[in-house]
Amino acid sequence: MSRFRLRKSAFGVTLVTLVALAATACASDKAVDGSVAIGADGVKHGPGVTDDKITVGLITDLTGPYAPLGKSISQAGQLYYEKVNAAGGICGRTIEPIVRDMGYDVQKTVSAYTELEPRVAALPQFIGSATVAAVRDRLEAGGPLTLALAWAPSLLGADSIQMTGTTYAVDVINGVDFLVKERGLKAGDKIGHVYVEGDYGDDSLAGSKYAAGKLGMSVVEQKVKATDADMSSQVSAMEQAGVKAVILSTAPRQTASFAGVAGATGLKVPLLGSNSAFAPQLLATPAGPALLGDFHIMQASSPLSADLPVMKEIIDGYKAKFPQDGLDNGVMAGYTGAVVVGDALKKACENKDLSRAGIIAAHRSQSAWDGGFGSTMDFTDPKQPPTRETYILKADKEAVGGLKVVKEAAVSELAASYEIKVG
Amino acid sequence: MSEPRASRLARPALWTAAALAVVVVPFYLEAFWLMAGLFAMSAAVGAIGLNLLTGATGQLSMGHAFFLAVGAYTYVLLASEPGSHLLGFGLPTPLAAVLAVAAAGAAGGLFSPIAGRLKGAYLGIATFALIFLGQHVLFNAEPVTGGYNGRAVPPFSLFGFSFADTPELVVLGVPFGSLERLWYLAVVVLLASGWFAKGVLAGRPGLAMNTIRDHETAAGVMGVPVAKYRAGVFVLSSMYAGLAGVMLALAFQRTVPEYFGIMLALDYLAMIVIGGLGSVGGAVVGAALVTLLPQVLTRYSDALPLVAQPGTGGFSPAEAARILYGSVVVAVVLFLPAGLLGLAQRVRRRLAGAFPHHPSTPSGSSS
Repeated sequence: MSRFRLRKSAFGVTLVTLVALAATACASDKAVDGSVAIGADGVKHGPGVTDDKITVGLITDLTGPYAPLGKSISQAGQLYYEKVNAAGGICGRTIEPIVRDMGYDVQKTVSAYTELEPRVAALPQFIGSATVAAVRDRLEAGGPLTLALAWAPSLLGADSIQMTGTTYAVDVINGVDFLVKERGLKAGDKIGHVYVEGDYGDDSLAGSKYAAGKLGMSVVEQKVKATDADMSSQVSAMEQAGVKAVILSTAPRQTASFAGVAGATGLKVPLLGSNSAFAPQLLATPAGPALLGDFHIMQASSPLSADLPVMKEIIDGYKAKFPQDGLDNGVMAGYTGAVVVGDALKKACENKDLSRAGIIAAHRSQSAWDGGFGSTMDFTDPKQPPTRETYILKADKEAVGGLKVVKEAAVSELAASYEIKVG
Repeated sequence: MSEPRASRLARPALWTAAALAVVVVPFYLEAFWLMAGLFAMSAAVGAIGLNLLTGATGQLSMGHAFFLAVGAYTYVLLASEPGSHLLGFGLPTPLAAVLAVAAAGAAGGLFSPIAGRLKGAYLGIATFALIFLGQHVLFNAEPVTGGYNGRAVPPFSLFGFSFADTPELVVLGVPFGSLERLWYLAVVVLLASGWFAKGVLAGRPGLAMNTIRDHETAAGVMGVPVAKYRAGVFVLSSMYAGLAGVMLALAFQRTVPEYFGIMLALDYLAMIVIGGLGSVGGAVVGAALVTLLPQVLTRYSDALPLVAQPGTGGFSPAEAARILYGSVVVAVVLFLPAGLLGLAQRVRRRLAGAFPHHPSTPSGSSS
């Protein structure tokens, strides 16, 4: 058999197979059929929904820089789903979470999203702003309801993306208001701001600059990298500038370093941390005493130590299920996200529409969601954070989660009038 | 070299089967696997480029991720329509892609005075600096790069055919979205890049490159312009990286600066080491393995022993992937100096040796 003839016959085989393929392509799982799926109970189905199951996805960080937080967040989510399923599920369907770790890596995020997107009804947990931004366009074009665990304004403006709490800038503005009212800062004073590069730091800085500008104060900036560990030079820069207070929009370890060094060198000014600047584990480090001093945290969600029945339930449940793990803010964030999505699913079930659009519409119809967490959230406007309230908290060794409330959630006038740049 | 009859028959059949598989895949595989395949093919193009430089010429480059970024961002910049706070030139996408590859080559050219003079670990350190430079620029040149959050990538379109989810296209009952369409584009680009690199390696330039790698002085004595070749290969390798960058950007649909960091550069080195230094096939095999391994492990974490579903404690798939990945690199360096491709060739030679009529092909560094 000559080579030429062989080639020719190979070509023929290809052709025949292609034709055969054409005839059988309908055997592919991917083939579409035009009908809209309606469940046995008359509820309209979307992706991830069957007669007895609703699948939800958690895209989280279990191996990257936010791993400790990611673990708490995922476990808190699992806790909620177990509770819901034990009570019969939602809409008569059990909730089945699928967890995907992306290690705060954009490529892994895109893969995880691509994998989960056709299989889930909602994403009650999606950590990080850069990671969500990587799939934002796809989320906007028909993606599932997604709870983004980051507080950057770039996450606003999409129907399917929801943040809980408020943006970093709003937190900081409320914090500056606190400094003025409770710590006697006045026009002409200088406020120091140490911030990490990226969304978190940039937006926080926008907040302090706005507030300082309105109040006739000035901001002394110090930008640090996420990987910087030693804050000594930042402390001495603040000391030289003669600041009256310092805002820390940093990672927990950097906060500990700054507070520790400041306590040792005599920079005795009030310290104010953004919501991601603190972890209860810090209290056991040498910087612990400094953090128990004049140091406060600004945060939109109520702490675990708040006197609310839902908190007791979370704490007891979490301790029983994960006895070896400590309770931190991640537990709160994960549980809240799960409840928000759970409530959206319940509402969508009442409307007999568990399609993606149906779930998002049900979620967006809630203007005063509470969930028992103490602060109401308005989900109707995707361009606005659901709240502009901020709690002022203080580190406390005895409190669960290491934080207790100093000042209840409130919106300052400045924060209420602050215009958030969307997208 | 006379091939055994069995292999003469098997070869075209094998190629036909492979071609058929490539055509059929988008009809059956779900989006996750298509995405993984696109990543693997893009990585393969980049790895081929790096293998020309590091494998064939012996020039260590740690800066490959930088040139990927140049390609990706140049494409986005040129193809995007100008926005309110982002620059854009609104060029036709094929032109933007070609210019992006050229820009990556130009960036390599700017670096070539250094690339021509330095060798081995010294070049590695010099190129390492490119990563940090690149990261700084990407994060801060906001009008061009979009800063921290990156920019959306305009979908590729060729002769009016758009490689995007819209307009809707259904082929034989299967909806063809951007992934399905890009699949074929990526296959064509990968084949073309592989074919070109094979040509370079098989010809006089390839011989010159290998001689520079094996004995620089001897190469010079034989009349090979060593510095010129080093610089030239660096430019070519950068262009491959640029092309891979464009492909990755199209697959991602969004470019973010964080991606183009040190880990990516190290991944590319791991690809060519695992696959086999100095050959096109090795780069492709290595790229496929390094890209797909973590994804496969994550995907089937529920079914694998020892690996726990993330969030439930125990070994997470990402950790398992990293351990496996590390062991593979160590095992390859220790036992398979020629990489996985070398292993395949060794097995084939053994098999060929099993037929008494056909003496095994002479061994030697033919790769």
